Amino acid sequence: MSALRADAAVAWAIARKDALSELRGRHAAGSTLFFAALVLLLFGFALGPDSRRLAEAAPGLLWLAIVFGGLLTVARLHQLEADDDALDQLARYPVERHAIYAGKALAGLAAMLVLGAVVLPVVVILYGVEVGGAWPALLATLVLGAIGFAAVGTFYAGVTVRMRAREVMLPLLMLPVVAPLLLAAVKATAAALGGDPFGELGAWLQLLAGFDVVMLIAGGLTYGHLLEE
Amino acid sequence: MTDWPFVLAGWGVILGGAGAYTLLLLRRLRNARQASLAIRRAADEPAPRERE
Amino acid sequence: MKTRILGAVALLAVIAAAVNALLIVPADLNQGDAQRIMYVHVPSAWLGYLSFGVTALAGIGYLWRRDLRLDAVAVSAAEIGVMFTAFAIWGGMMWGKPVWGVYWQWEDPRLTTTALLLALYVGYLLFRRLTDDPARRAARAAVVGIIAAIDIPIVHFSVEWWRGLHQRATFGSPDKLLNPAAPAQFVIALVAMVVAFTLAWAWLMIRRYQLARIEWQIEEHGRLGRISAARRAAVAPQAPAAQAPAEEAAP
Repeated sequence: MSALRADAAVAWAIARKDALSELRGRHAAGSTLFFAALVLLLFGFALGPDSRRLAEAAPGLLWLAIVFGGLLTVARLHQLEADDDALDQLARYPVERHAIYAGKALAGLAAMLVLGAVVLPVVVILYGVEVGGAWPALLATLVLGAIGFAAVGTFYAGVTVRMRAREVMLPLLMLPVVAPLLLAAVKATAAALGGDPFGELGAWLQLLAGFDVVMLIAGGLTYGHLLEE
Repeated sequence: MTDWPFVLAGWGVILGGAGAYTLLLLRRLRNARQASLAIRRAADEPAPRERE
Repeated sequence: MKTRILGAVALLAVIAAAVNALLIVPADLNQGDAQRIMYVHVPSAWLGYLSFGVTALAGIGYLWRRDLRLDAVAVSAAEIGVMFTAFAIWGGMMWGKPVWGVYWQWEDPRLTTTALLLALYVGYLLFRRLTDDPARRAARAAVVGIIAAIDIPIVHFSVEWWRGLHQRATFGSPDKLLNPAAPAQFVIALVAMVVAFTLAWAWLMIRRYQLARIEWQIEEHGRLGRISAARRAAVAPQAPAAQAPAEEAAP
């Protein structure tokens, strides 16, 4: 049991380190948030001005903004170490690989939740969305989606961190894999906002949760192979 | 009856594409074998100067 | 020599099965001649998915054994697989236009999953191309391939859900041929095409694997600095950086 506690301690230490770097990091995190809001604005220009159409499209646009912002976010979290070659040092510590993965994914999750917290109000305002009593369902969707994206993103950020053309390789590799997450999150969001007329919300949330579990396990098991070189 | 253009397009691209890939693969293989042979010949020659 | 025999047999099989499917087998009552596209679409899709399975398994094998020959199998399967997957999508579109009226149908889980499979393949191959060190490339490609393979069933399931909640597929499944109710002649024709294509696939895999092995040997020679400067300049611009550690390692 102490092995688990050791792992948890490692993960927490890494997550804390990343979170502190984010907070101190010279507006890099803030820029990403601004970018996401900007993307939402641009969607308005692309799909508007019919407000009804925008309101219908809102769940999809919300999650697209989260995905785009998320790509920048996970890339940034791995860039911190890569620039200082700290990733190699991290790899040499005698700690469990999956603990490192868990720590970075945790930091990723925190960053994604912040992103979601910023993007959601912007969507509500720009697209005239009526949230009403859907808050709990919306939050559940956000959390589950953030977990999945962080799980996948941490893995692929690790894969692409030191390669050529990583700015395009990260999205290129990641986006097909998160397609089901996007699909389910949008459907769940739409169901929550629409009052769940078909009772499908639970099913979509379950799909999200299942996706999260599978990806966390897969990422945890394989992350080690990315570090050993 | 008006479907035949699609049938031809479908079959043509698929069989033609596979054929083209096959020919390309054979050519790549031949080039690689020649290159590999050339390397081996160069390595077997008594090297007049070591570049290390 | 055995490979050549396989190649000849595969070629004859493809020709025979193709002639049968195009000219001998009658047209479908509902879908007309367009249904003949299925005879190339289904085998292509099958080989696309089979190849991806091989890529993922070879990747796992490499992580376990660290044998670069398994990596050669993986890249061969990926390259051949991307081709057949593209064929499958093309075939699906050529079938869709006359039968559905549209080239693309979001609610067909097979079409969308195959499109995503293509995206995963392309990503895998591009990723390999941008990594120079063979051992690192093999290990990283292996994990990328594994995660991608895990994603495929999730995607398929999600899209089925996506569709199921709107309307039952009134569009008709492309692979009517796989139904037990299909006429025997159609099924035989399809099976013949699948077998013929699979033989061709096996031959392509062997040849592509041979190519991969030779290319790796050539790469190794380059890395150990035994090739002339001209060839070095012709290879990636990374080469000078790769020479330094290689020269330290070389005896």
